[in-house]
Amino acid sequence: MNEMSRVERAAPAVVARPSRWEAATPWLFIAPSLILLLAIGLYPVIYTAFASTQSWVIGMDPPYFAWFQNYENAFTSSDFQDAVLRTAELLVVTLPIELVLGMMIALALDSAHFGPLRWLLQVCLVLPIAITPSVVGLLTQLMFNEQLGIINHMIGVLGIGPIDWLGQPASALGTVMIVQVWEWTPFVALVLSAALSTVPTDIDEAALLETERWWPRFRHIQLPFMWPGITAALVFQTAFTIKEFDMIFSIESGGPGTATETAVMQIERVAFRGFDIGMASAESIIMLVLSILLARLYIRLFYREMD
Amino acid sequence: MSRANFLKALQAAAMVVTLIVILFPIYWMVAGSLKTQDQLFAMPPHWVWMPSFAGYVDAVQNTEILQNLVNSLIVVVSAVALGLVVGAPAAYGIARYRFRGRRDVWFWYVTNWMLVPVVVLIPFYLTAAALHLINNLIVLILVYQVFIVPLIVWLLVDQFSAVPIALEEAAQLDGLSRIGIFLRIALPLVKPGIAVSAVLSGIFAWNDMLYAFILTPSPDARTASTVVLSYLGGYTIPWPDVMASATMVSAPVMIGGLLVHKYIARGLTMGAVK
Amino acid sequence: MKKWGFAAAVIAALGMGGAAHADSWSLAQAAAPYKGMTVTVVGLDRPSYQIAQKLTPEFEKETGIHVTWDIFPYEDTLKEETLNFFSNSQQFDAILSDIVWPVNFADPGWVVPLKHFTDNPALADPALDEKDFFPVWLASFTVHDTLYAFPFDSYAGLLYYNKSMLKAAGFTAPPTTWQQLRDVYLPKLTDKSKGVYGYALQSARGETQTADSFTRFLWPWGGQYLNIADKKILVNDAQAQAGIKFRQSLVPYMPDGIVSDDHAQVVALMQQGKLAMITEWSAFDPTLSQSLSDNLGIAVEPRGPNAAYSAFGGFAYMVSAQIPEKQQDATYLFIQWLTSKAEAKPLIDGGAVLGRVSADTDPAAQADHPNLAPMVATWRTAAVPDWRPQLECYPGFSDIVSDWGSRIELGEVGVKSGLDSMAAALTKSMNSSDCWSKSNDPEQAIALYK
Repeated sequence: MNEMSRVERAAPAVVARPSRWEAATPWLFIAPSLILLLAIGLYPVIYTAFASTQSWVIGMDPPYFAWFQNYENAFTSSDFQDAVLRTAELLVVTLPIELVLGMMIALALDSAHFGPLRWLLQVCLVLPIAITPSVVGLLTQLMFNEQLGIINHMIGVLGIGPIDWLGQPASALGTVMIVQVWEWTPFVALVLSAALSTVPTDIDEAALLETERWWPRFRHIQLPFMWPGITAALVFQTAFTIKEFDMIFSIESGGPGTATETAVMQIERVAFRGFDIGMASAESIIMLVLSILLARLYIRLFYREMD
Repeated sequence: MSRANFLKALQAAAMVVTLIVILFPIYWMVAGSLKTQDQLFAMPPHWVWMPSFAGYVDAVQNTEILQNLVNSLIVVVSAVALGLVVGAPAAYGIARYRFRGRRDVWFWYVTNWMLVPVVVLIPFYLTAAALHLINNLIVLILVYQVFIVPLIVWLLVDQFSAVPIALEEAAQLDGLSRIGIFLRIALPLVKPGIAVSAVLSGIFAWNDMLYAFILTPSPDARTASTVVLSYLGGYTIPWPDVMASATMVSAPVMIGGLLVHKYIARGLTMGAVK
Repeated sequence: MKKWGFAAAVIAALGMGGAAHADSWSLAQAAAPYKGMTVTVVGLDRPSYQIAQKLTPEFEKETGIHVTWDIFPYEDTLKEETLNFFSNSQQFDAILSDIVWPVNFADPGWVVPLKHFTDNPALADPALDEKDFFPVWLASFTVHDTLYAFPFDSYAGLLYYNKSMLKAAGFTAPPTTWQQLRDVYLPKLTDKSKGVYGYALQSARGETQTADSFTRFLWPWGGQYLNIADKKILVNDAQAQAGIKFRQSLVPYMPDGIVSDDHAQVVALMQQGKLAMITEWSAFDPTLSQSLSDNLGIAVEPRGPNAAYSAFGGFAYMVSAQIPEKQQDATYLFIQWLTSKAEAKPLIDGGAVLGRVSADTDPAAQADHPNLAPMVATWRTAAVPDWRPQLECYPGFSDIVSDWGSRIELGEVGVKSGLDSMAAALTKSMNSSDCWSKSNDPEQAIALYK
């Protein structure tokens, strides 16, 4: 990554001929954080992997070794399959929308006009990212209420009939997608905006002299420099979407039925309402593997574009 | 209208629309907190009304929101402090030294950041239960390190790299130890970075609900983000109270976000963009 | 003469002494060793607990024992209590048990049989009068012939209706059978274009779907969940299908999005005069009578073609076995006080619903509280303690029912295929954890209390 090379370039002078003490020193600095993360990050994952091989329901018989029974159950559980599919659906629909809208906002922020408006927009973009997700969920309940919500009132003014946003399975998932886009497009926009600022000004100005048309400039000058940023946005936005729990839970706890229940929510339900620790652990491991694979896939696919 | 002007107008319109879409829900929340139940549900909505603070009064009286806010504050300050104490040296180590395993340590931090939290949640819960630490804020302070430490390390590595080597070399010649150089020379120069990473980590710790409502479920041990739980399951939902609580919970993080708005993208992507 | 006088005096003294001994149990005296302790009680945000909290200072004053109420949403209560036991955190002393949870708490030995306390003369109040609880309630909290709890927040499913709305449609009395309700009443009471509905069934995901929505339409048609002795799931047999098909036929008359509506929403609709009838727990009486006052009609639930079975649910208090013995005793004293005959009247007057025969059948009380008579009638003739099965694996069981029940109600699957899927999932779940042998049959316990 670029970050690493910049750092590497900055470091050389200090590390000349490392003595024993010198060689140990970096580890001294790093040790506390490593130990902490090993204890809090790695140990739990190993524990979960272990628990996933146990048949273990709180309140029933003590846990016993069950090989891959939990994994078999997880893969054949239509509940879990549906939840994973729903998560995929959420990703596949919201990511492109967030990218396109985010790109539009980033381009608008890059223009030379409307200074004050641009500044205001840039500042306000932070709000949906910083606001507490569980609060966003509560707000969604209020605003998208069928009879009394402001959203239905406003579209009613346009002549569109009241939509039962939260009561029907299909529209409930759609509502979650809408709120997800509201919450995260600003993040994508900010990342793309930062990426846009890496375009060298001289090349950019030369392009501006060549043509007034927006598309060629975008396609041939700006876009090539933006691939790392787009990749970063994709990777992180995918992680955020898969991890999303608080907001969706606060809307309707996964309802109506299981219409808005994502993989993470289903795991929480299995673990803490059904008390099946073994099964929930297996499902967690599956999700972990899936998200790592996805991240690697992105980097493989998109990093190629960068020269 | 010329093509250029048309595009300009379109741009302005798009920006204004985006601003409205971003700000309206937040306005609605704050407005709702100052209305009564009837005013909230009046259609067409009241755009001008006599504000009432009953929502805030009721929220404070009927729920543990004040206690929850205090709990959040304790957790955030402690978690960020711990993260800095552990993460700043780590960032310095990575910035200054080229050592074997550096890349791996690097990627280890990023992986922690991307971990699906629920993987960590169950064992954390079970261990905390065995140690009788459920409802003790310390468990939250510890579990949040999983994403605070990588974030702090990433942001500060950048900052430490920018500290001129010459300064450190001079100090070395003066006989200062490595640790001394770190504490007296490097650290003071990255104060802005510390401030930014502190605020960003604080926002995440404040906002988290999943860990908080599992690990500290008791009504007086809970943190502010679990505000939604106070209102589930009753007969009626007192929306002004709910909005008042929501405003109290989200105001600090929104203000924090505004303060560091320039760094949010970098923070969230761990500086991977540039 | 003196001898007789002396003997008479001794006999008199003995007699008086004996009598004095029988009256000498007092709460204050019994609580003396526990003065200054704190008892933590789990409660819900419902009228019974609200009035209980208001009256608690009386107990505190009389005993010097401090009581803390921990209120949770219903959907979280089992989780909180189970995790409390699992982690041995001793967070709660008085354990609130829903009618489907006794075996979950009793089998792992997490709660103390009440006999331990009622056999203790220092603690047991002679005026407790266990027989004054309705048999169906005591049976519900009896696991393997051992009583674990005294009922506190006791419900019957009742039919609440808006008298003026019925009158306007030409009815002077509420329906007595489900058939009647659908075929005669609903067409006249429902006008969707005006947003007015004849009947709404709260069906939100979770226990509401399982109990309020699904089970309600099982029993009156002769449907059953299971046969424990034969280890068979019966939820997809012909009678169950008939009942659930009937439920589906009601859906067109109900508000859109009913499947995500919980108690709060249907009660609100009724308060707003947009809904004519609901079948809800008797606990919601204070809320509804506040807004509808004289307009509120209360009756027993309609009958099904097979028999009269109303929704049955409620709560009771148990003593945690994980807390120290002294703490257990103090907790028992509170539970005993809360469920005592003496406290019944002030609680009922404050909006609570209790399962005490004397308090509920008192004519004066029935005159003041019109929900009591239908509740008593329900508990005597239309309630069974195993209306929902008592299983150690009940959380997972109920989840499956709630999941498929919602899908059927949403129309995502047909009734027969949905019930078949539900039965398959339930069978798999019961077999894999051998939950068959981890169950309780409260129906058998009724004989103990008749």
